[in-house]
Amino acid sequence: MRLSRGVNELGLLAAIIVLYIVLGTKAGGFLTSGNQLGILRDAAQIGIAAWGMTLVIIAGDIDISIGPAVAFGSVMVAKGATAWGLGVPLAVVLTLVIGSAIGAFAGFLRAQYNVPAFIATLGVYSALRGLAQFISNALPVPLPDSGFFDFLAGSVAGVPTPAVVMILLLVVFLVIALKTPYGRAVYALGGNPRAAELAGIAVKRIRISLFAVNGLLAAITGVLLAARLGSGNGGAAMGLEFDVIAAVVIGGTALAGGSGSILATALGVIFITLIGNGLVLLGVNQFLQDVVRGVIIVLAVLVNVLLGRRNRLTS
Amino acid sequence: MASINDQPVAGGAGSERGSDPVARTRGAVRRYPGVLALDHVDFEVHPGEVRALLGKNGAGKSTLIRLLSGVEKADEGTVEIAGTALTGGGSREASQLGVATVYQELSLIPKLSVAENYHLGALPTGRGGLVRTAHMKDAADAALVELGVKVDPGMPVGALPVAEQQMVEIARALRGSPKLLILDEPTSSLAAAAVDVVLQAVTRIAATGVAIIYVSHRLNEIRQIAHSASVMRDGRLVETVNTKGASSDEIVSLMLGDAASATEATARHTSAPATDRPVVLSVRELSVPPKVRDVSFDVHEGEILGIAGVLGSGRSELLRSIAGLLPPASGTLTVFGEELRRWSIRDMIRRGVGLTPEERKTDGIVPLLGVDENIVLADRGSVRRGPLLSTGRQRAAAAKLVSALSVRTPDVGVPIGALSGGNQQKAVIARWLHRGSRVLLLDEPTRGVDVQAKAQIYDLVRKLADDGVSIVFVSNELEELPLVCSRVVVLRDGAIATELTGADITESAIFAATLADGTGSAAASTTGESE
Repeated sequence: MRLSRGVNELGLLAAIIVLYIVLGTKAGGFLTSGNQLGILRDAAQIGIAAWGMTLVIIAGDIDISIGPAVAFGSVMVAKGATAWGLGVPLAVVLTLVIGSAIGAFAGFLRAQYNVPAFIATLGVYSALRGLAQFISNALPVPLPDSGFFDFLAGSVAGVPTPAVVMILLLVVFLVIALKTPYGRAVYALGGNPRAAELAGIAVKRIRISLFAVNGLLAAITGVLLAARLGSGNGGAAMGLEFDVIAAVVIGGTALAGGSGSILATALGVIFITLIGNGLVLLGVNQFLQDVVRGVIIVLAVLVNVLLGRRNRLTS
Repeated sequence: MASINDQPVAGGAGSERGSDPVARTRGAVRRYPGVLALDHVDFEVHPGEVRALLGKNGAGKSTLIRLLSGVEKADEGTVEIAGTALTGGGSREASQLGVATVYQELSLIPKLSVAENYHLGALPTGRGGLVRTAHMKDAADAALVELGVKVDPGMPVGALPVAEQQMVEIARALRGSPKLLILDEPTSSLAAAAVDVVLQAVTRIAATGVAIIYVSHRLNEIRQIAHSASVMRDGRLVETVNTKGASSDEIVSLMLGDAASATEATARHTSAPATDRPVVLSVRELSVPPKVRDVSFDVHEGEILGIAGVLGSGRSELLRSIAGLLPPASGTLTVFGEELRRWSIRDMIRRGVGLTPEERKTDGIVPLLGVDENIVLADRGSVRRGPLLSTGRQRAAAAKLVSALSVRTPDVGVPIGALSGGNQQKAVIARWLHRGSRVLLLDEPTRGVDVQAKAQIYDLVRKLADDGVSIVFVSNELEELPLVCSRVVVLRDGAIATELTGADITESAIFAATLADGTGSAAASTTGESE
């Protein structure tokens, strides 16, 4: 078990180093500090939601509503701060609260009525994309001038603010997953929900909270995205859930639940972002980029599965 | 005693005396690692005969059935079906020779229709390879009517009562016109009132000349349908008796043999029942339809109360209901003086009652997590430092219990799935000790555990009781109850049949009480039979 964990993380690290060497020599401008900071900024878009997604998947569930939830958040905060006249602070708070509430609702359907998480979040996926486009009339909603949004779009000591947020949340989620009763309960209920319930763990409450946290993280990503683009956009973050889930799975978290690591997800996030960045720099056709990413992701998971099997056989 | 030894018996309807046996074993031996499961067994059964197969757990009944149905091959001796020796060609070979087996667990697919289940694996097809739906339904219907059951063949089989599901299963076994039908405890999951349907069908099938081997723990059923009963013990076929002539006592003592008196002679640890100590848990008129009916008992401080009963008697349901997993239809529970009408599992844990489930792997452990995390699972508050878990405290707390309970593990951080069954069980018990639970509900704590670990678990249970922990010990293995319990409640068909204390707790007394006999289940429930 632990061995395969370590092997997996070392393997990912090796793959990232190989990517750096290859892209550093083949792709012009890859190693410039501008591009490296850009990679960090792009990573934040995937990473923030990926921390919560890791816990959801460890608990044996899935949340496919990330992309629309991010777009909806960006529209909410822009509308709130402009047309609805809430002011920037209230608009931000409201966006985060509503994002969490929608996530909690999906979690409630899962926990209370045993609606499969895939279906519950599929419904949310469709509803939020539609709502975001409807509220914004499918047009970008410009943000007002605000020092706060400038700060979110800017950087802290040279590091893009979204990357700073991502790293802070990474630390928080690492601690939650490894060191809190809550985090360990997530592993327990993912590993064996019946045993967890017999041990008195509040399985339903934890399930609901996991989806609420995912909704919150998507809303945060939405606010950051709006600040970066200068507007809320109902069509933004198309297919983001794909990258987020891929990062988690490449990190070795099993879709069956019960095991996984936030740190490995972080490596998965870097891996995915590097491939996206490299394909652009190498000038690969935009549509072929999707093909290449699809192949690489399946290969990465296949390697994981084979490694896992070998370790099981030898232990 | 109406002993007829190994003579083929054909009383009653089986007037095929002198006919060739449908199935015959000669000197059949089967060994498992460390166990002689079948010890030179000579057995025959003739056309039209209903032969009961009796014996306690581990007596060799299942092994004999597996040999006859071709699932396993005899290490020595021969197994013949209709005069042809089995050559190790598996269950397919046996079934081609005419053996059909219905196992204890139903093997139906609940969402598929009765007709599809009946034809499973051989759906009738017409032109173009399409299923002939109407024909399929008619055939299933006809087969079931033959057995005295009328159901809509288009209905999903899972929607039927368990007794009728059992009939679909039997009908399917008869589809290939077998010469020998083996029924492995076909009524164990049925409430008493539903049993008749099955018994009548068995009689009808035998009348058509099919030989039937019928495994059951219910002596009254056996008297109704079987002409003779073969009693097994320790892998040997000890005697074949005429069921009409032998008394229940005689049959019970045949099943137990000398082993019973040997265990009874061993010193019982807890000699005096702790009934003068305060009552910690009091169950009143608890009913969980259809398995548990109107059960009342008390558990005292430091007492080890055994609950016995055959499979399907409601043992596990009773325990799960007390633990808060299965809401009862009626009844109350008084825990440490506080009366409850409804309770959840978390209520019970908070009040100091913990359950170790029967299915350790699926319900008890989180296999990927460490032994330490599994032990602290029910109370992680005590291993915190501030808001965070302290790995050090967690390890220390777990290590203390690991050594106190002698859980054998290379390290407390090892995933618990890597441990042996006995050590997993001790860790699950340790979970409740870590929680400070004062009442432990142990559902088959020694199931799937080796002999040495069993002895350790007995010692542990006694030691805990000495420390004032109250224990409810449910077991399927009768010989262990006299070893650990100071009082035993015997369940039969979901109700308390009898209570034994002190020196009266003997294997044979428990065994006799668990078997529904003659008058025993006359007042049985009519509340239905589905889960």
